[in-house]
Amino acid sequence: MSQTESQDIETATTSLQTTSVAPDNKTRRYDRQLRLWASSGQAALESSKILVISGSGTSASVLKNLVLPGIGHFTILDPHKVTEADIGSNFFLETESVGKYKAEEEVRLLKELNDGVEGVANTSDLATILKNDPTYLTSFTLLIAHNLHPELLEQLSSLLRSDPFHPPLIVVRSAGFLAEFFIQFHEHTIIDSHSETPPSLRIDKPFPALLDHALSLDLSKLDPTDHGHIPYIVILVKAAHEWKASHDGRVPKTTEERKEFKKYLQSLRVKADEENFEEAEAQAYRVWAVTNVPSEISSLFNDPILANLTPTSPPFFHLLAALKTYTEKEPHTLPLSATLPDIKSDTTNYIHLQNLYKRRAEEEKEEFTKILVANPVQPQTPIDKGLIDEFVRNSHGLKVLRGEKWRAVDQDSARLKEASQSYPSHTAIHLAFSAMAALELKGVQVDHTTPAEDLKSEAAKIYGPFEEIEEEIDNAIAELLRAPNADLPTTAAFLGGLVAQEAIKIITKQYVPVKGYCVIDLISSTTSVIGA
Amino acid sequence: MSVASPLSPLPGRHYHVDQILDRPGPRTDPAFVPGETPKTFLREQSKILVIGAGGLGCEILANLALSGFNDIHVIDMDTIDISNLNRQFLFRPKDVGKPKAIVAAEFIMRRVPGVKVTPYFGKIQDKDEDYYLQFNIIICGLDSVEARRWINATLVNMVDPENGESMKPLIDGGTEGFKGQARLILPTITSCYECSLDMLNKPTAFPICTIANTPRLPEHCIEWASVLEWPRVHGDKKMDTDDPEHIGWLYKIASARAKEFNIEGVTWALTQGVVKNIIPAIASTNAIIAASCCSEALKIVTTCAPYINNYMMFIGTESVYTYTFEHEKRPECPVCGGETIDISVGKEWTVERLIEVLVERQDIQIKKPSLSTSTKQLYLQAPKQLEQATRPNLGKLLSELVEEGDQITVTASSLPFNLSLRVTYV
Ligand SMILES: [Zn+2]
Repeated sequence: MSQTESQDIETATTSLQTTSVAPDNKTRRYDRQLRLWASSGQAALESSKILVISGSGTSASVLKNLVLPGIGHFTILDPHKVTEADIGSNFFLETESVGKYKAEEEVRLLKELNDGVEGVANTSDLATILKNDPTYLTSFTLLIAHNLHPELLEQLSSLLRSDPFHPPLIVVRSAGFLAEFFIQFHEHTIIDSHSETPPSLRIDKPFPALLDHALSLDLSKLDPTDHGHIPYIVILVKAAHEWKASHDGRVPKTTEERKEFKKYLQSLRVKADEENFEEAEAQAYRVWAVTNVPSEISSLFNDPILANLTPTSPPFFHLLAALKTYTEKEPHTLPLSATLPDIKSDTTNYIHLQNLYKRRAEEEKEEFTKILVANPVQPQTPIDKGLIDEFVRNSHGLKVLRGEKWRAVDQDSARLKEASQSYPSHTAIHLAFSAMAALELKGVQVDHTTPAEDLKSEAAKIYGPFEEIEEEIDNAIAELLRAPNADLPTTAAFLGGLVAQEAIKIITKQYVPVKGYCVIDLISSTTSVIGA
Repeated sequence: MSVASPLSPLPGRHYHVDQILDRPGPRTDPAFVPGETPKTFLREQSKILVIGAGGLGCEILANLALSGFNDIHVIDMDTIDISNLNRQFLFRPKDVGKPKAIVAAEFIMRRVPGVKVTPYFGKIQDKDEDYYLQFNIIICGLDSVEARRWINATLVNMVDPENGESMKPLIDGGTEGFKGQARLILPTITSCYECSLDMLNKPTAFPICTIANTPRLPEHCIEWASVLEWPRVHGDKKMDTDDPEHIGWLYKIASARAKEFNIEGVTWALTQGVVKNIIPAIASTNAIIAASCCSEALKIVTTCAPYINNYMMFIGTESVYTYTFEHEKRPECPVCGGETIDISVGKEWTVERLIEVLVERQDIQIKKPSLSTSTKQLYLQAPKQLEQATRPNLGKLLSELVEEGDQITVTASSLPFNLSLRVTYV
């Protein structure tokens, strides 16, 4: 590139007061994922510490998918040495690894994937740590355990369940083509769930500046080009206002009236092919679809924490309390979103409309902030502006998930029965795994010679009489006993992807993680979530 | 027991895979003979082709090698970019700029004992039927629709009813962010890639008049810079979307235009995203889809379990959701169906209008179609002389050139097949 052109860039940059420098190497490396979870998600990943228990092929697959996007730290806890069998199911071991510590070899080869990630091998055993140093375990952000003996798993899950500030645990089990995982967490709040439902444009409840703008236009006086460029939002607000004026203040209600309203819209056209009027007609339902607080959000207002809000409650709940008060006032909606979809319009009209929305969104955010600081219970440390902004912007997609202890579902046969009605074969696979764990708790080493009847009677103790899912149970147990100790590379890779995705969702608090057991059957190439 | 052969050093390493080959499961076909037969076929006789050594390709190669496929071929025409390193785990910073196929093949052979990976650094179109006939299965991990349509059509055309071996199962995976799909295509038997074109997300195309006259979004300004300003200022010089200086230029021009129109939101990342048509990609989703593809390959080659019929969709944004179903053949699929597509044409339509309609149709997806009938050429995109000779037809009414019920053959250089249209005037 020539000298003059580079200077041009510089001049342009200065005049625009934006950075036009090419992104640095780290941003370039992470470009494809930053488009999914942005720098806030990346920062959360980079400050996370993950403990993976067992150095199996599945564990390595999970870690590969977490080291690549750049978690802060991982530790592999495994006291065993590498065997030939391990090499065959684990891409992060090599021929020369045989006889060395599995954790050390895996950490070495996984660290090659990303300089920015810290990796530590721990070759002591979990039982000792549980007994002597439980705070070591609770110091991580997230723990993941693959095919861990149920006795240790029980101790670990109880430890992590004992205090709401202890980290979540992902319990992973697999055998041959079958697998399942469960996330044990206390409470998981999500501000940015990346909801695919767009926020309301509030055409049915236009804010004053929007209504004024719409009414100020005299469509009949516009020249045909301008007429074809009025955004449909403005057309609908205006048309609805006029309709209401001649219909006792009511919006079109009956099918007849709605047809009539659309006819009225058609009559406003000056040319047959005005695309903005086509859009207005297609979007006409927005005039009579009432914008109120979506039920998924208003149901959050009944959260027990809101009733007992204290200064130490998480900021999310202080914000939620403010949102509740906000929606109790006119116009009984969530704060307006500043984002406008692309619609048929010319630049001037579109930008003008966009500015109206932006200004109003800003005003409503201020209103929200006033309520927040006037909450009778105030948070220990004031909530910063960035978080308020994020909360308001994403208020239509807020989520609160409450988890439960690993195995809680197995103590509730009514829920298992319910799951078996929708997902019989996946519920049966889950029961087969639970039965296997029950046998292991009795000291049985399950292998392919273990009688199917032994597993079946354990499964019956959990579920009760099998009735209509007997065939599924037989199939699941037979498939499990075919390869009860096989860490199949393809199953490991599949699980590795799923579990890493869940870990990313838990750590970034973006997107929505699984609640319940996610059961995987790679013979039918299907998955289900049961006991949610 | 494992097969001891020169191809399989460390026989103990097959411990895990052997468990599903030594015993059938309840859903295994009764014809399955456990033990040596499937092991020998998998490890010593089967030959598998992987198309693409990118995000999916790296995962596929590693899975296949661990599963016991010892004769793997891989094709990829790309070289390694720094933005690949967040997921393409066979590559390191020192490999940036090198051919993906070669680096990936060498890595797999270094890591997994006994496996042979043969790379080809080039285009799939360089290879002929004889090449594709040597494989038992072909797995595709591509991000290009065009390349997929090409391999799909090639494999469907290759099927010789007299010769069962000419039918090559094609396993295709694709991802976008937290979503993806894996499917099995048995050419001529199941639905093919072309049958499902309408399931693709419609690519966001901005009308040229919006870009030129009524920009509203930052994307419109970026398109203005790349589609209109670049050729105006740089003439024939090709835009290289991997060249940061070119992106920098586009960013500068787009920013200036955005400022002029009071449009906010032009950033470097967005500029690059729009001009490169970047699709978000992460290792975990690639792992899921690649694993599904390889699991199916293992089941097909060994018959140790039934294979998928024939499509799995995965969505990980909200909980885990998969949907496995039989995607059905489309009788008018231009590749595997062969029925003529009936098209209703307005009496006032010009040839140009028909071309516009074809380009927009989601089930056809053709970029620069050439049109002809059995007796005349309506419009040809190339060569230059014929384009010039047929250009006057663009403005003519179709009804003056083609009788009702006549067939129009549509071709495009990017597609290895023809489309047949039957016209009805309305
Ligand atoms: Zn087809």
